[in-house]
Amino acid sequence: MGTGDAVISVEQLTKSYGRFRALNGLDLQVAPGEVHAFLGPNGAGKSTTIRVLLGLLRADSGSVRVLGGDPWRDVVELHRRIAYVPGEVSLWPGMTGGEAIDLLGSLRGGLDERRRAELVERFELDPTKRGRQYSKGNRQKVAIVAALSSDAELLILDEPTSGLDPLMENVFQEVVVEAKGRGSSVLLSSHILAEVESLADRLSIIRDGRVAETGTLADLRGRTRTTIHAEVVTLPAHASLDALEDVRIDGNRLWATVESSRISAALETLLPLGVTALTVEPPSLESLFLRLYEGEEGER
Amino acid sequence: MSSAVAGTLPLLRPVARHDGRHFAPWVLVTTLLSVSSVLGYPQIFPTEQDRMALGVAIGANPALGLIFGPAFDLSTTDGFNAWRSLALGGFLVGLGAIFTLIRATRAQEDSGQAELLASGVVGRDARLMAGVVTTIGLTTVLGVVVGVATGLTGGDWESSMLLGATMTATGWMCAGIAAVTAQIGSEARASSSFAVATLGVLFLLRGLAYSMDAPDWTVWANPLGWMTETRPGVDNVWWPLLPAAGLTVLLLVAAFALQGRRDFGMGAIAPRPGPARGKVRSTMALALRVNRGPLVAWGIAFVLLGFVYGYFTTSIKDLLARDSAVQQFLAAGAASADKLVGAFLVTVLNLLGILTAIPGVQVMLRVRAEELAERVEPVMATSVARPRYYASNLLLAFTAPAAYLVIAGTLVATLASRADIGVGFTDTLLQAVATVPAVWTVVAVAVLVVGVRPQVTLAAWAGVLLAFVLTLLGPTFKLRDEVLAISPFWHVPNMATDESRLGLLWISLVTAALVVLGFVGFRRRDLGR
Repeated sequence: MGTGDAVISVEQLTKSYGRFRALNGLDLQVAPGEVHAFLGPNGAGKSTTIRVLLGLLRADSGSVRVLGGDPWRDVVELHRRIAYVPGEVSLWPGMTGGEAIDLLGSLRGGLDERRRAELVERFELDPTKRGRQYSKGNRQKVAIVAALSSDAELLILDEPTSGLDPLMENVFQEVVVEAKGRGSSVLLSSHILAEVESLADRLSIIRDGRVAETGTLADLRGRTRTTIHAEVVTLPAHASLDALEDVRIDGNRLWATVESSRISAALETLLPLGVTALTVEPPSLESLFLRLYEGEEGER
Repeated sequence: MSSAVAGTLPLLRPVARHDGRHFAPWVLVTTLLSVSSVLGYPQIFPTEQDRMALGVAIGANPALGLIFGPAFDLSTTDGFNAWRSLALGGFLVGLGAIFTLIRATRAQEDSGQAELLASGVVGRDARLMAGVVTTIGLTTVLGVVVGVATGLTGGDWESSMLLGATMTATGWMCAGIAAVTAQIGSEARASSSFAVATLGVLFLLRGLAYSMDAPDWTVWANPLGWMTETRPGVDNVWWPLLPAAGLTVLLLVAAFALQGRRDFGMGAIAPRPGPARGKVRSTMALALRVNRGPLVAWGIAFVLLGFVYGYFTTSIKDLLARDSAVQQFLAAGAASADKLVGAFLVTVLNLLGILTAIPGVQVMLRVRAEELAERVEPVMATSVARPRYYASNLLLAFTAPAAYLVIAGTLVATLASRADIGVGFTDTLLQAVATVPAVWTVVAVAVLVVGVRPQVTLAAWAGVLLAFVLTLLGPTFKLRDEVLAISPFWHVPNMATDESRLGLLWISLVTAALVVLGFVGFRRRDLGR
């Protein structure tokens, strides 16, 4: 993918707050029409990156292009084509949710009335409550409805569902899939792994202000280890188990891990032992993310 | 200690440390106010004659009496200090006490910090108790600092300590008022507005009661009147401090009773459902909507002030005639009565102008408050350019004070022109309009601060403070013209007598420069930091 047609293209971005370096040479590429998940531990720099992409913060150095423009300079033109859901939704205390949706929609240049009504209905949002009366989840619904009621080319979602219940989480996923169907690109920052798994085409993991891993979920899985559990007839000599690691043997049962790219080699070493039962388990999402968040051993 | 206030002590430490820092500027300003009079008086008014002249100058301008209250005795350092510092210092301490108490109680509830703590081993009255103890403690420290500093710099010890004590007592009463309004308002901003409005009305009524020779009970019905009646430096009467302490206790008892009856995070007034669809569709409408409550309240206040000052103006000649010193002054041909009336009107309109700048500065500071509350972020993520957003708020910050000043000026002009004091409607209204550019310069200071360096919020008030001190106190202090000229109001021509209108041009150039810098700053800086 060339840089030219990317929806978001960030290279070597740095941003400091005083002496604290929030972003430290971050690279990020989001292709048109894809849902790109943006993950990382708390304080890794996700929200700072998003604020730079929105032109709220100015980059210290590096190049940032959003929809082919400079987010700091071309604010107005770009924002007509972008919709944003902040992580901490703070509403005007005396204004109702309905008023806030209409205000934000009007400021973006109008919203789709039919879709607004439909989203309010689907998210079961009461638009007549005042900002200060909404719970966290309901404030997020207001922001989601406001963002998705207009046809934006790029949706920037900063942990949009951290306060939603599972039913609303489902509605949110449907709505994002529909937006993608209309041709929108999505940058989705999230800690909800199931959401990332079902929505994301590609993902980038940010750690300490730079992107540590990027690729499809399958790519990332491929770079991590698969667990093998086998019951064998003859117990092997350790020397013959080169392809396997972390080997543990109890009676005639054997556990081990293997690099995902070397599964067939591992099976070749096991088959001569007379396998009576075999489970090959790809890494669970949780263990995959834990591993990615923590970083490679020795790196810290 | 009962269980309702359990946990007050551990709460107290962070509250006191955090709010002590915020309160320090109030201590500094009030101490400077008092110390500067004690140090300055013998320098500026060395002879008996100078002191007489000061008495005449102040007696000849009843507008000053409206702010500073009665001058019981201007011939001694302590009497002068009492006149200059008691009412104004008390007002400042009152504001400081209100903000401190609301910050420690209601504002924390709104921000959710209190909820974190409320789930700990903390009784339900502990937060209010910690706020009350902190505020009472800080205002007490303030009184002692003012008293000791004044005594050390040459004030009479008893008078100085009494002056400090009136400031403390005013702080206590305002803490009581704020503790009550914190239970009534539906959020911190509403609560502090209620309390500040109460203080403002009491302050205005005290000035009126003394200036207009109202019956004695109007002074004694007003808690701020008790403070003035201690007469530091003249009679040194201590007992009016007792009712002040009594009132504080009553207010606090009421506040704790109210607190026991309301839900956490809610006020006494429950919100109703609102419209499902919005009419606010532009940044201008948003600025209006966000500032609606305070702007309406200020509108009412300025209509009232217009009536009060207008009515006051009609009796100006009687007031001047009653002052024997002024009579001698007039008889000697040093000034004509018409000239005094004209000077009075200019002072009143200057005072109104400085007051109208306050809502202007508040509108600009609201920009910062919205930013910190993370509500500017979603607005900026729409296709709104920063300059447009800033311009909408700036437009409101400029038009609201102008409208207030014209409204109040019209009322003063109408009432004054009906009385037989030789004041024309058009002249007075023109004078009000001519004061508007000076108000804008003061507001533009806030435009600059919020645009370039909003972290120093207090600096946004610098224009108001400087204008107030220089315009209203400067002349009696015989400050040099170069110093007085720092206040934009100094450049406002007397429309009836001055030919040149150039002064308005100069201050408008300054306004333009401040605004441009503010815009550049707001365009270039990081938002929400």
